[in-house]
Amino acid sequence: MGREPAAPSRRRLSTRTQWTLSVAMALAIVGFVGAAQWNSSVQRTAFTTSAQQVLANQVTQLETEQDALQARIEQTNGKIESYQKSAAGSEADLTQLNAHLAAARAAAGLTRVHGSGVRIEIADSLRQVPPGESPANYLVLAEDLRAIVVALWASGAEAISINTYRVVSSTSIRAVGNPVLINDQYAQPPFVIEAIGPRDQLSQFESQSAFLSTVQRRIDAFGLEYAWAPLDDITLEAFVGVPSFREGVPVRPTGTP
Amino acid sequence: MRGRLAQLSMFGVAVLIGLLLVGQLRSQQRPVELRTLTPQELSGLVQSLSQRNRELQTALTAQLGQLNSYERTDVEGRSQLELGQQEVLTLNAFAGLGAVQGRGVVINVQGFLDWIAVNDLLNELRNSRAEAIALDGLRITARSVAVQGVDGVMIDGQTIGSSFEVSAIGEPDALTSAITGPGGLKSQLELYAQATLTIHEMASVLVPATQRDLGFTVAQPVE
Repeated sequence: MGREPAAPSRRRLSTRTQWTLSVAMALAIVGFVGAAQWNSSVQRTAFTTSAQQVLANQVTQLETEQDALQARIEQTNGKIESYQKSAAGSEADLTQLNAHLAAARAAAGLTRVHGSGVRIEIADSLRQVPPGESPANYLVLAEDLRAIVVALWASGAEAISINTYRVVSSTSIRAVGNPVLINDQYAQPPFVIEAIGPRDQLSQFESQSAFLSTVQRRIDAFGLEYAWAPLDDITLEAFVGVPSFREGVPVRPTGTP
Repeated sequence: MRGRLAQLSMFGVAVLIGLLLVGQLRSQQRPVELRTLTPQELSGLVQSLSQRNRELQTALTAQLGQLNSYERTDVEGRSQLELGQQEVLTLNAFAGLGAVQGRGVVINVQGFLDWIAVNDLLNELRNSRAEAIALDGLRITARSVAVQGVDGVMIDGQTIGSSFEVSAIGEPDALTSAITGPGGLKSQLELYAQATLTIHEMASVLVPATQRDLGFTVAQPVE
């Protein structure tokens, strides 16, 4: 009988201890994560200077300006195209001209196209950068994108785009530090590369030396996020821009008026 | 009552942990926001975007001029056809189906370059706004890439030897300084590939049309 009251007391003590331990552990986790978060926040805040803010605002403004210019170019292009299609003249001349225009536009990359092909996605590694190693190793670089494009063209691609930016004869893929510019437009990961072409040939792009010696090596070494899939039908946007020459002059083929 | 209070406290702590963990995980991902780029990277972006916008503005002005010409031709059918033919000529030249002539550079390369170096050279010229490029008389189109072939580096089925010539139309100073500038491709190739690059600025370079068929067999225009 004398031991009876002791049991609830032990239970109470035990429950309280459990609660205390749980709360202490939770607070310890909060403290740890909070400290880590604070440390990284301090680093980031310190990184953002007023000069950077001004430059970042300039970039945003220039991108908005670029979008507006491209929209006007697309709009004007549409008007010119409708004039070309309705140009007066003999029916035969007009038909022939429109056929030539359509072929030239397609060859120049100014036409939206669709067909079977492949879609590749590549993004920065999710691995922690080991101390002393260059963080750039764990990022998708311009050279990775160039190698993928080389591998795709070499595998019979007829049209390629990266993050919807169409790859045309004047396209350069370059880095300004780590950021990547495609057709002088700022592109961010994940990068989506789409290509239209004979599917059996395109599916072999991974066996091209351009892919193996650059991209595959970096995927293996640094864990770049990567996947690809064949697709029955994909649509690639047209190149937005106006093919024009500042230094060069197109040479009229001999025998043409 | 105390039990309810304790539950609420634990709930609050759990929410706080969750929020902090999400914040921490996000901060470990690549900081792609503009504010996290270095001043040098941002300056480079500003420079590139500004240049691109200037080009787009120039292109838009030319396009508006073209539109104006169409509007003015009214019902003069013949001149509208001529405008269309001029457009075909320009588009074909841009794609590589037509020849182009103008100021530029000729680069003589001596030494065995691998496919990466050849593609880098072509990419560097495009970065410097080359308007048309040919390698040993072979027009470089969007699809022309250097690959490792059985007998060496090949472009569009043509093997590149230990000595070749690249012709590029564009602003000669810009093309030259892109290749020969500090840390440029010339010094890198001379250092790592023991190759020699000699650049000549030219008042007139002729870049021929490609012999390659650039037509589509799989891709179809979207109407």
